[in-house]
Amino acid sequence: MRVGMVGTGSMGLAHANAWLEAGVRLSGVISGHLEHAQAFAQQHHTQAFQSLQDLLEVVDVLDICAPTHLHREMTEVAALAGKHIICEKPIALSVQDARAMIEVCSSHKVRLFIAQVVRFFPQYRAAQEILKSGQLGNLGVLRLKRAGYPPSPTWFLDETKSGGMVMDLMIHDFDYALWLGGQVSRVYATSARAFHPSSNRDYALVTLGFESGAMAQIEGGWAYPKGTFRTSLDIAGSQGLIEWHSDSSSTIKNFLEPQDTDVGAVGIPSSVLTEDPYTTQIKHFKHALENETPFDVTPQDALAALEIALAARESLQSGRAVHLAGFR
Amino acid sequence: MSFAHLHAEGYIGLLRSMPDIEVVGFSDLDHARGMAMSQQYSSIRFPSHETLLEQNLDAVIVCTENATRREAVELAARAGCHILCEKPIAVTLSDALAMRDAVASAGVNFMTAFPMRFDPSIQIIRELVQAGDLGRVYGVNGINHSEIPRAHRAWFASRELAGGGAVMDHTVHLTDLYRWIFDTEILEVYAEVSNPFYPDVDVDTAGIVTFKLENGMFAGIDCSWSRPTTYPRWGHLKLEIVGERGSLEVDAFAQHLTLTSTKPSSRNPNWHGWGSDPNKAMLTEFFASIEEAREPSVTWKDGFEALRVALTCYESAGIGQPVRLENL
Repeated sequence: MRVGMVGTGSMGLAHANAWLEAGVRLSGVISGHLEHAQAFAQQHHTQAFQSLQDLLEVVDVLDICAPTHLHREMTEVAALAGKHIICEKPIALSVQDARAMIEVCSSHKVRLFIAQVVRFFPQYRAAQEILKSGQLGNLGVLRLKRAGYPPSPTWFLDETKSGGMVMDLMIHDFDYALWLGGQVSRVYATSARAFHPSSNRDYALVTLGFESGAMAQIEGGWAYPKGTFRTSLDIAGSQGLIEWHSDSSSTIKNFLEPQDTDVGAVGIPSSVLTEDPYTTQIKHFKHALENETPFDVTPQDALAALEIALAARESLQSGRAVHLAGFR
Repeated sequence: MSFAHLHAEGYIGLLRSMPDIEVVGFSDLDHARGMAMSQQYSSIRFPSHETLLEQNLDAVIVCTENATRREAVELAARAGCHILCEKPIAVTLSDALAMRDAVASAGVNFMTAFPMRFDPSIQIIRELVQAGDLGRVYGVNGINHSEIPRAHRAWFASRELAGGGAVMDHTVHLTDLYRWIFDTEILEVYAEVSNPFYPDVDVDTAGIVTFKLENGMFAGIDCSWSRPTTYPRWGHLKLEIVGERGSLEVDAFAQHLTLTSTKPSSRNPNWHGWGSDPNKAMLTEFFASIEEAREPSVTWKDGFEALRVALTCYESAGIGQPVRLENL
């Protein structure tokens, strides 16, 4: 499988390592800055290209780890060239763009996979399997938390490029909530940035009301000091409960004298695993392509998560709950 | 007055440990419970509130069901007794207002039993917030979820006697703490409320509540009865406050031993608390306010505002939109 990488940021690196683990050496890379692509190419024993067109000539699959506002255009170019696509989340910044991406891939007979990686985190997957097996009874209250520090690459902080914290970070838990809870009727959101638009920090609470009568509270933040990233899930059903918190599941704790520590530019949750979730995700994508089997996360799933994120943003602006029957 | 509220069992032990306090006895309209409690606590049971109030008492603690507090408070005020009243202080605003009038015309003290204001960790958090340690505060998210309390007292899950379920039972504590810690009032309420956990009760068992506060912050509360009855303890009270410097988190009941037994038990392991009992400090303040002939630090107004917010949660859930509290 010949794979081309777009983007050399945190996700580009995570995907490149995952491809290596999956036995694939990247066929090439591009970046918004040629020197970044060259450095990345050297590090990953691949070739830097000047343009997307040049890269597409040597690959079967394009891996898009570029800022979100570029997803649609890159997907369209790749689909027209007949390349399969794996693209970072969120799928796009608007329903219109997401639909266009899905349609162009469908009409050019290429496959599109949106990297909603949380579905490949073992604790999230195991919790979903326990709920689906019926061990918890019916879902009642779902609590999800994902909070880190403001990312340093500037495009994240530009809402016209990333959609902001609610779109970029909370999309993970919107997708997970939909996976567990099904159809959502209502979305209500409050956030720090809605009150303090000039701040890089953000913190938000989003409440979902499901058609089933279940409810979810999703908490997201770029709110902590640099280096802190915390996630948790709490799934309460009529017959049982699952709790998990990143605070209490680290297998290694570090009480060494502090040195100048290297903090990543973008907060990413970490668990010590034989196979990291990005690798599990890439292997799943590769396997599904090679065997023509379905993806565990469909572009429609990614679109549904985007719709929740957009409803949350609409709620932040209006101060009202968004009832999804009349939304879009 | 009454052992209907299970806190009465804690109070009687604490009262007896206070050197200047004499426990004269208690009233309980429930014959069986009254007899049992009389035996268990070696205390004189009076079959009616009136007969208890004939004993020349200085003060009473009202531990009746939520819906019967007004009657008890009116009788006690008429008898010239100072009153410590369980929360929520009533189930309707008109009852609460009638209680205020009865207390005012009798010239007795009325304190709402919000023990968490006397919790040492909560007090430290309040001091840190008020000293500006967080910088500008954006929001707070609190958890006061628990098991369904009906195993202790069935009326907690009865609409007629409790006036509601999880929202009535558990929004009031955190609502009061938010008003107190941040020195502000609740401006607007949005709530998801339903009964996903116990179809055999006629009250809500789950609630996710979001407030906008007058000071520009927002606040969340999970008040659900979402912990299984086999959970290692009744539940939790936690809150995380997020501001421009990061976050402060308090887990008020983190001080516990984990006890695991080979004997069958409904809680195994069992979290055995060893922290300071805030009820003792609350009772001390109640008696000090009487001694010093001043208003207690927690007032009728505090109980009234918390009740008003709980009732507004139901209103919001009914219409699926946020509801602004009227300026009284």
